[in-house]
Amino acid sequence: MRKKISSVILNIVLLLMGVVTVYPFVWMLSSSFKKNNEIMALQQHLLPQLFTVQNYINMNSRFNFMRFFANSLFVTIAITVVVIYTSTICGFVLSKYRFKGREVLFGFILSTMMIPWCVTIIPKYSMIQAFGWIDSYSALIVPAMFSGFGIFMMKQHIATMPDEILEAARIDGANEFSIFHQIVFPMAKNGISSIAIFQFLWAWEDYLWPYLVINTKEKQLLSVGLKMFNGQYSTDYGALFAATAVSIIPVLLIYLFFQRQFIAGIASSAVKG
Amino acid sequence: MQKRPGTLKRKSEVLLRNIVVTAMVIYFTVFLIVPIIIAFAGSFHNWNPLSGTYDFLGLKNYTNVFTSGLFWTSMLNTVIFSVVVIIFRVGLGLSIACALNSALVKHKSFFRAVYYMPVVTPMVAVAFVWKFMYNPQIGTINDILGLDINWLMNPKTALIAVMIMTIWKDFGYAVVMYLAGLYSLPSDALEAAKVDGATSWQTFRYITFPLLKPMTLFVVITSIISYIQAYVQILIMTEGGPGTATYLASYIIYDEAFVKYNFGYASALSFVLFVITAFFTWLSFRVSGNQE
Repeated sequence: MRKKISSVILNIVLLLMGVVTVYPFVWMLSSSFKKNNEIMALQQHLLPQLFTVQNYINMNSRFNFMRFFANSLFVTIAITVVVIYTSTICGFVLSKYRFKGREVLFGFILSTMMIPWCVTIIPKYSMIQAFGWIDSYSALIVPAMFSGFGIFMMKQHIATMPDEILEAARIDGANEFSIFHQIVFPMAKNGISSIAIFQFLWAWEDYLWPYLVINTKEKQLLSVGLKMFNGQYSTDYGALFAATAVSIIPVLLIYLFFQRQFIAGIASSAVKG
Repeated sequence: MQKRPGTLKRKSEVLLRNIVVTAMVIYFTVFLIVPIIIAFAGSFHNWNPLSGTYDFLGLKNYTNVFTSGLFWTSMLNTVIFSVVVIIFRVGLGLSIACALNSALVKHKSFFRAVYYMPVVTPMVAVAFVWKFMYNPQIGTINDILGLDINWLMNPKTALIAVMIMTIWKDFGYAVVMYLAGLYSLPSDALEAAKVDGATSWQTFRYITFPLLKPMTLFVVITSIISYIQAYVQILIMTEGGPGTATYLASYIIYDEAFVKYNFGYASALSFVLFVITAFFTWLSFRVSGNQE
């Protein structure tokens, strides 16, 4: 009996925490389907009394918001694909090959993870200017091609693969390039999926770098676009809610779709690390 | 490659290794080492790209940092912010993880997935959602709590409001970390405690919590490092205001570098934060090294 009561209490507390966690998303999504006079009304209701998609239409027609969405999608996918590849191949070389300086190189890559963004961002900005890359997507993609975190994760992950499989392929006469592409890469898919989600999220939410290096409004990314939109239409709350929903919902969907791999990936990085 | 007796290193292995190592070295040199050197040199100069100035100042930028009232205000804010958020992050993370780990709760993975949701959502967008929620005109927080506070405009509540938002966004990470820690605990110690008739509080106090110490340390250190660098929620929600009530250390750097274009001063400030971050990282390695 006592056990049952404490079980009920515990579940209620956890459920309440869950409601607190989810509430801001629900409120935002629901507000994005309300008319402005309802959003500002004294008497508030969580669900729209009068359902409208006008906000989504306004957000796009006034600010071409979906353009930012498409830009972000392109840049984010490009960065994610490149980082997956570089992290996996660097992880493979660092975990399966022995060579002079390997430990130093790996230690150096680990230490890059603790360097705060603020130390390198000013010189990086001046360098991008000097390269003439301002306002081009090279400025967003090239400096993000390698990831210390990604290399670290993939090194840990690939180190657990049995050497026998690689040996067998070598005996069959496969060269190292095809061993990597045909054996290691497919086998690393758990590690890859957790890096993919993180990298996607980081690139998707990055604000300062695109703000600095992209000048043309049509090329700008979503986070910056959202802030610009808020600056220009600060009273059109409905459209702002719609724009915010568009920035959040795709990431949430990807997360909910992959959440198992995701949580397993992040947890294992900490237990091993 | 293992030293296999009688096997020579193959050509493709050497080639692949050389390509990969060269690429890594070039990348990290160009986008990390060179920028650090430029920033370090710049921190001794009056460096402003708009006016084109780059004049040697010696240690002036650094002395300016340490004599600036705003710097110390922001450090104090950063300490308050970090301590409060970390206490809640660890407290909520640990208690929820233990609750989820108990036999009394079903649907563990459902709860875990829900709590982790804010962690994966983009900060800029989430900060806007909370800014709207705090808004006295359209917001929902005053409605729910029956209060009438202009959260983000009042110097007494603005930092608290940003902290609440950050706790909401980040506690799920601690839940997942602690759950992973709990799963990897040795079950025999817990069994033995049960056989000896320990209450669940005693088991937690004397067995679970000490065994989770490395995880607690990990969560605390990674939190410190990330809160020293936090600025997005400030940029979106308060821009440091009202007054200087919500200036955090990294927000000043943003402000000095990309609003006022004081690149030299901002670089000096960056190196101060870099040293603080490095100190905490070193501390974490030391403390965790002593554990094992």
